[in-house]
Amino acid sequence: MTTLVEKPAVSGTRNEPGGAFKAVLALTLFESRRLLTRIPVLLAFTVYIGWTVWRAGRAWGDYPALQDADRATQGAPMLVGLAVLLSVNQAALRSRRHGTERHFAVLVLPHWCRTVAHALSVAAAALVTAVCVAGQFGREAMRPGAIGQGSVAELLVGPLTVLLFGLAGLLVAGLVRSALVAPLLVVLFLFLFLFFSGLDYGGRWLLPAVEEATSNTLPSDLMGRPAAWHALYLAGLALLLGLVAVLVAGGRKPAVFAGAAGALALTLVGGVAQSAGDSPELVKARERATVHPEQVQSCVRRDGSTYCAFPEWGPRVGDWAAVVDRVRSLAGGSAHEQDVVVRQRVDARYGLSGDAALDPLKRPHEVTVGTQWGGNRVPEFSAAVAGVLIAGDEKAATSICDGRIVPLMWLAVGWESDPLDALRRVRLNDTVTGSDSVLQPTNGLYMTEAQTEVLRALLDLPRAEAGARVEDRWDELTAPKITAARAAGLLGLPAPEGEDKCLS
Amino acid sequence: MTPTVSASGLSLRYGGTRALDEVSLRLTAGVTGLLGPNGAGKTTLLRVLATALPADQGAFTVLGHDPATARGRQEVRRRLGYLPQTPGFHPDFTAFEFVDYVAILKEITDRGARHREVRRVLDEVGLADVRGKRIRKLSGGMRQRVALAAALAGDPGFLVLDEPTVGLDPEQRMRFREMIAGAGEGRTVLLSTHQTEDVAMLCHRVIVMAGGRVRFEGTPAELTARAAGRVWSSTERDSGARAGWRTGTGSFRNVGDPPAGADLLEPTLEDGYLLTLDDAGAEVTA
Repeated sequence: MTTLVEKPAVSGTRNEPGGAFKAVLALTLFESRRLLTRIPVLLAFTVYIGWTVWRAGRAWGDYPALQDADRATQGAPMLVGLAVLLSVNQAALRSRRHGTERHFAVLVLPHWCRTVAHALSVAAAALVTAVCVAGQFGREAMRPGAIGQGSVAELLVGPLTVLLFGLAGLLVAGLVRSALVAPLLVVLFLFLFLFFSGLDYGGRWLLPAVEEATSNTLPSDLMGRPAAWHALYLAGLALLLGLVAVLVAGGRKPAVFAGAAGALALTLVGGVAQSAGDSPELVKARERATVHPEQVQSCVRRDGSTYCAFPEWGPRVGDWAAVVDRVRSLAGGSAHEQDVVVRQRVDARYGLSGDAALDPLKRPHEVTVGTQWGGNRVPEFSAAVAGVLIAGDEKAATSICDGRIVPLMWLAVGWESDPLDALRRVRLNDTVTGSDSVLQPTNGLYMTEAQTEVLRALLDLPRAEAGARVEDRWDELTAPKITAARAAGLLGLPAPEGEDKCLS
Repeated sequence: MTPTVSASGLSLRYGGTRALDEVSLRLTAGVTGLLGPNGAGKTTLLRVLATALPADQGAFTVLGHDPATARGRQEVRRRLGYLPQTPGFHPDFTAFEFVDYVAILKEITDRGARHREVRRVLDEVGLADVRGKRIRKLSGGMRQRVALAAALAGDPGFLVLDEPTVGLDPEQRMRFREMIAGAGEGRTVLLSTHQTEDVAMLCHRVIVMAGGRVRFEGTPAELTARAAGRVWSSTERDSGARAGWRTGTGSFRNVGDPPAGADLLEPTLEDGYLLTLDDAGAEVTA
C-alpha cells in the first residue's frame, strides 16, 4: 500500500530528547514576555507600584505592625489580576481570532501544550507580583519602627490572586471562543467581590482577598485569620482552573486528570477549613488579652515608670518612654517627678472586626497606650499621659471639664516641634480654633472655645517662657473647677472671649 | 530518484462530494507543481499530506514516516513546512516574533540556534530589513513572505505550498519564484498553483488534478508534449477547437483536434494542461 523511503532528501528533523517539554518552556518565555508587556498589564503594574511607593512614603506609616502590613499587600494585586485575566484571554484566543489555528495544528507542538505555556506565563505574572509584594512588605519590615510579624500565607494571597484571575481568563478562552466574555467576567468578578465582601465570616473567605472592616491592630496570635487555609484554597482553585483549561484544550492525559482531582481536593479542604470560624481557645485568648492584659504582657521599668506591652510591642517601649519623659518634663509640682504605669491595651474580643472604644483605667497613674503608633497616635497618647499627671488617673482625666485642659494640652503638645500642628492632629475635626474634641487612646476630652484661645495664646509665647509660666502657677492651674479666664489670668494672658461651657 | 512522499489510494469525501478519489503519487526532491481548476481537490490533497486532514482511505508516507500513527504523524510534522492557502498572521507580532513563535511550535528549542534560524529564513525570503516591523504594517506580498519564512523555519525536508503566488503582483511573483526555486534545492516541494507559468519555470515534475483524481503525472515537457500537433492558428475561430482565442496579432490560436492542413503552432505547457483537463471532462475556460 505504501512505499518506504530508502534514502530521504534533506530533512530538518529536530527530534531532541524532551523536545516537547523544552518547547513548552521556550513558549512560556515567549508568552510571558508578551503578557508582561501588554498595555493593560503594564498599566496595572504601574498603578500598583505607584500606589505602593506613594503609600510607603506617608509619615504615619513609620510604625507598621507587620501582622497588618502583610494584609495590606492583598488588595492592589487584584487590579493586576484583572489585567492579566483580560490579556491572557486575548492571547489564548489569538490563533482563533487571526485564523492561524489550522496552520498551527500541523506544527509539532499540540494545542494543549500552548495552553500549558499560557498557564505558565500567568505564573510568571504572579511571580512578578510576588516580587512587588515582597518589596512592599520588605519596605515596611525595614522601617525602624516596625513591630510584629507577617504571615507568609497572607503575603501569598496577592500573587495567588493574579494566578487565579489569569487562569480563569485562560479557562474561559477555552470554553467560550469570544473576546467579549473576558470583560464581562471582569464585571462579574467585581460584582461578586461586592456581594461576598458583605457576607458573614465564612462566605467572605470565598473571595481572593479578604479585607477587614476596621483598622484594629491585634497581636499576631489573636488575629484568627485562616490565612494558611485560604492560601491553600486559592492555590488549589488556581491549579484546578489551569488544569481544566489544559483538559479543555485537549491535554487529556492521566497526569492532568489526576492533578485536577488533587487540585479539587485542595480547594475543598482549604475552602471548608477557612470557613470554620474562631476556635474556643482563640476566643479565650482574646478575652484574656482584653480583660486581663497583664496576664500576657511583660513589663519593663524606665526612669521609674513602668511599661507593660504585649510581647511583639517590646521594641516600642522606647518611643512611649520618650513621650512620657517629654510630657513630664513640662509639668510642674509633684507631677514633674510622677512615675506612671503605661499599659498597652486592645479590645480583641471581636477580632479584627471590633473597634469598640477602650474604657479609661481607674488605677492611679496608669495610662493606656494602644496597639498603633505614629502620626496622630503620638499626641493622643501624649494627651492621655498629661491627663493622668494632672488628674491622677485616666478615668478622672477623661472627665476634666474646666481650665485644667489648658495645662493638660500644654503638656500634650508643648514639647512637639510644631505644637500647633500637633494640636490640629489631636483634635477630632483637625481644628486649632473654637471648641472641639481631643482624641485619646480611651475616651476623649472636650476643649471649649475659651480654653482653645488661652492655649493658642500660650503656644504663641516663646517655649521657655510659656513653660516657666505654667510651672510657676502649676498648683493653681491644676486645681479643679478653674475657669479658662482664671487660667489666662494666672498665665498672664488676655482673657478669652469665646464660650467656656463644657458639653453636658 | 527515491521518493520523499509516496501516497497510494488516498480518498476523502466531504458529504456527497468525493474530494479525493484514489489519489496515488510519488514526490521526489525538487519542486513538483500541482495544477488543477478550482474544486479539483488540490488543497484537500495538500492538507492531507500536511497531516491537517485524515484521509478516509489509502495511505502515505513522508520521508519514511507513516502519519496514520500518532508517533508517525509527529515525525512527519517535524519534517514538514506548510504554507496554507490563506495563512493567518498575528498582526501585532513583528515578522521576527511570528517566525520565532512558529519555530518554537516546531520544537526548535535552543534560543540562540532558533534565533539564528529565524534570521536565516527571513534573510532567505528577503525580509531581513523589516524583521522588527509589526505584521500589520507589512504589505500583502511581505506577509506572504513571512508565511513562507515560517514554513522554511527548521529546514523541513518536505515543503507544502498552497497557491503562494495568488494576489501577488508580477514583480512579487517573480521574487517568490526565485525563493521557491531556492527552497526546492535539496528538498521536496509540492507547489499548488493555478499559474502554468509557475510550473513551467519552477517545476521538474507536474501533477494535474481534476475531480479529485490525478489526471497527469510527469515532467512539464511531457505535459507540453501532450499538445504536440494539437495547437494551430487560423484567421477565424475554428469550430472544431476545444478552446480558441484571438491573439494580439489578430489570428486565432486553437487547441484541440486540428483540421487537415492546419497551420500548426508550437505547444505550451498551458496547452497541454487545457487538453488534459478537457480529456478528463473538466470544464476548460480559455
